[in-house]
Amino acid sequence: MVGNSDRVVDRRTFLKISGAGSIAATAGCLGLGGGGGGGAITVGQPAAQTGQWDFLQPGVSKATDVAIQRINDAGGPLGRELDLERSDTSVNPQQARTVVTQLTENEDAVALLGLFSSELEPLYEFLQEQETPVVTPWPGSNFLDTRGGDHGTPEDVSDDEWIWRTVISDTVHTAGAALRALEDGHDTIGIINGTTSGARSWVNGFRSAYEANGGTVAEQVEVAQGESNYQSALDRLFQAEFSAFAVSLPLEDAITLMSDWSDGGYGRQPVLSDPLSQNELATQVGSDLNGAWAASPGESGPNYGTFESAYNSAEGDADINAWTPPAWDATMVTALAIERAGEATPEAIEQNLGPVSRGPGTEVASFAEGKEALDNGDEIKYMGAATPVTFTQFGNVVGSVVINEVQNGAFTQVETIPAEDLREFVPEGEY
Amino acid sequence: MGLAQNLIFGLVTGSYIAIAAIGFTLIYGIVNMINFAYGEYLTIGAFIGLLAGGALPLPLPVAVLVAMVGGGVASILLAKLFFTPINHTGPIPMLLTSIGLGLVLRNAIRLFAGRSARYYDTETTTWQFQNVPDLAVGPVDLLGGFFVTSQQLVVVGCALGVFVVLHTVLTRTDVGIAMRAMSDDEALARVRGIDTQFIRNSVWVLAGMLAGLSGVLLGIQTNVSVSTGFSQILQILSAAILGGAGSPYGAIAGAYVIGVALALSTAFLPSSMTGISSAIAFAILVVVLLVKPSGIAGAEVREA
Repeated sequence: MVGNSDRVVDRRTFLKISGAGSIAATAGCLGLGGGGGGGAITVGQPAAQTGQWDFLQPGVSKATDVAIQRINDAGGPLGRELDLERSDTSVNPQQARTVVTQLTENEDAVALLGLFSSELEPLYEFLQEQETPVVTPWPGSNFLDTRGGDHGTPEDVSDDEWIWRTVISDTVHTAGAALRALEDGHDTIGIINGTTSGARSWVNGFRSAYEANGGTVAEQVEVAQGESNYQSALDRLFQAEFSAFAVSLPLEDAITLMSDWSDGGYGRQPVLSDPLSQNELATQVGSDLNGAWAASPGESGPNYGTFESAYNSAEGDADINAWTPPAWDATMVTALAIERAGEATPEAIEQNLGPVSRGPGTEVASFAEGKEALDNGDEIKYMGAATPVTFTQFGNVVGSVVINEVQNGAFTQVETIPAEDLREFVPEGEY
Repeated sequence: MGLAQNLIFGLVTGSYIAIAAIGFTLIYGIVNMINFAYGEYLTIGAFIGLLAGGALPLPLPVAVLVAMVGGGVASILLAKLFFTPINHTGPIPMLLTSIGLGLVLRNAIRLFAGRSARYYDTETTTWQFQNVPDLAVGPVDLLGGFFVTSQQLVVVGCALGVFVVLHTVLTRTDVGIAMRAMSDDEALARVRGIDTQFIRNSVWVLAGMLAGLSGVLLGIQTNVSVSTGFSQILQILSAAILGGAGSPYGAIAGAYVIGVALALSTAFLPSSMTGISSAIAFAILVVVLLVKPSGIAGAEVREA
């Protein structure tokens, strides 16, 4: 855990000393942007416009854009326009570092609405030094289970860890996958996974919940990404005795692997990691994949309908994926934090993300409702689309899990596991 | 299943590598340069094949031929633009130029085609194999039993076809004999009246055609994206060096050693190490080169 009180000279102090802080503030007062003045308020979005997860970005971009439009239509936070600066990281930590620096230093972004697990983990210390809230819809990594948030003390930023996520942790939805596998009678399982932090995080969460509930892992095989085939790895895996096998790989590699699995006639029940709940996988692998399923973050927010109608009425044909509603929530809750704070600075936003999400207060489904309630002097509780967005002390959320199964060559939602059934996997104080 | 099955997997993987490694090593042997942009030649071939097979659409065997021709044309054009003008500067500037060219090509492909993977149409690829009996062979009671798919047979068949054609060209045609002569001693070949520039151009075309074929086969097996060829370049390079840089026969042998090593390391390493099986395969490369720095067949072939 990194606090902010024990640094001798942090970035903002240095800026003040060097005079750059004064210049930035002056620019804000002159209406040249920045958070402290009266012009537009800028939020940044590190994005996966290229890279291994680029197929998920269009839905997230659209959800963010539609949310920004709705916020501005309602008058904007503090009566100012909310601007978005989106920049490609390729899901590459080094590029992400550059993008974060550019967004916070050059664009004066007061909050960041992105970053993946594989970027957040290596950049964690760097992001603490930025002291800019990161409210991200992407990361499932259990690395963040006990890192991030405000430690339940919103007014005191000295113990804050600045990272918040509006999507449930791998710990939660992999528990859902483990429970479903066991309920289906698969008490022995094989695992094949990639070496990326995301792939390993999913497997660690799944395996932990599966074994904790009496399941046995017969064999686990790790494979590198980008191989021309995975036949040897599959052959090794399927020498073990099990009735189902879990797969956690980036989509392109999973298509290669599952095609090899189909060609080899290995059979048995596939259990897929949540990013693999993509029709492209079913299309490319073919009918052998029918019956395979994935457990994904659900749409358990009380106001999913508000999001969905706004999303579908907007231009663009990007499909809704598991990270699309959390992107809407991240944008809304950040704007509400600015509104409650009364000022658009990173520290003020950080101090208000907890209060607008945890309650007590008037439950609101949108920025417009929240702004009205705050103007009336009421406290608010944002109720989101993906989850109720009740941030824990570590900046995490809890929600339901949905099971998407391949039927007739396409993923179809067949079951929902309520959040209450998964609470035991996220003990109080450890999530 | 076990050893036999993994040997078959290794042979299939080796066949993918071998086709490209031959082209790579021909460039090294005749033009005297390590072409790090060669992976992008595979990518170009894969995209041409995808375009020909999907957009036009041509039957896949015809699309493969189009990809080979396209790869050959792209290869000679790139050589004329980037390598021929600096041919006199020596191997290091050529190497650095090829690294730069690879970066330029990769980003140009990303610019025009995007980063997302594309796939050969399943029905089209099925058409390719519809006249081949689907050999769900096995398990056969031999060294633990094995199975073979028709697609694997096609890949191995393509590789064997390339080997036969290559051997014929190198031993039965004037161009091939001239290539071997140039590979041994370019100055002497020039004195004997061989048109060395024509032979260089021929090698660029041949290497590009092999890259086109390899790219399409890889694209069918995996996907077509900006990283299709780049992800294979280390294996191609290793096969060429392991076999004895400049020796096409050695490159074939090196490719199969790498392919089998990859398969066996995945099959028999501890579970915690299977994710780094590629590193184990390349460790074998280092060991072989320590024992025999010229590679498996480099010197021997040149003396043949």
